[in-house]
Amino acid sequence: MPLRAARVGRVGVIGHPVAKTAVVAKAVTPGPSPVAKTAVVAAAVTPGRGRRRI
Amino acid sequence: MTDTPLDHLGPVDYVVVEFPADASNFTGEMADELVRLVNSGTIRLIDVLILTKNEDGTVDAMELSDIEELGELQALEAQLAELLAEEDVEHLANAMEPGSTAGVLIWENLWAAPFASAARRSGGQLIANGRIPIQAIIASIEADEAAATEGV
Repeated sequence: MPLRAARVGRVGVIGHPVAKTAVVAKAVTPGPSPVAKTAVVAAAVTPGRGRRRI
Repeated sequence: MTDTPLDHLGPVDYVVVEFPADASNFTGEMADELVRLVNSGTIRLIDVLILTKNEDGTVDAMELSDIEELGELQALEAQLAELLAEEDVEHLANAMEPGSTAGVLIWENLWAAPFASAARRSGGQLIANGRIPIQAIIASIEADEAAATEGV
């Protein structure tokens, strides 16, 4: 279906071809060690659970 | 689009969510969650397009209003602005695989607007922002673990 006329001929807002990002779902989809991996990530972003100091 | 003063506008983000031809499973759950985010005042939905990339690389675009049964999305559709231009469709579809369909969402982060506005009034300037992929966090943790193991 065609785009609405208001979208045609205007300057866009994205500005450049978008590259595909890594597929996040695959990192957290059940696999060999999904529970462990999910738990590790959750722990890393839990408040007060500093992993290391810079 | 509402007449939001520029100084009160929250950060605007976009996502392109691809559904491979053999992996789509539309249950209405996504629409429900989107409506919940809007109704709670967390985001303001600015624009939505549904893109289909054909095997020959050509792209078809559908407006949200082109969908026959919108359900709860009907109310959101009426509030959309047509921010994306035709050239944006080409740029966004660049990330898609042939044979896939993708939803493009543009939204304003209403939750961040008051803080962003306060930062601007305080003289702050946004000089960087971004998103940290889950994979990067996993890789960092695994690198730490590997280093610790080698150190033992």
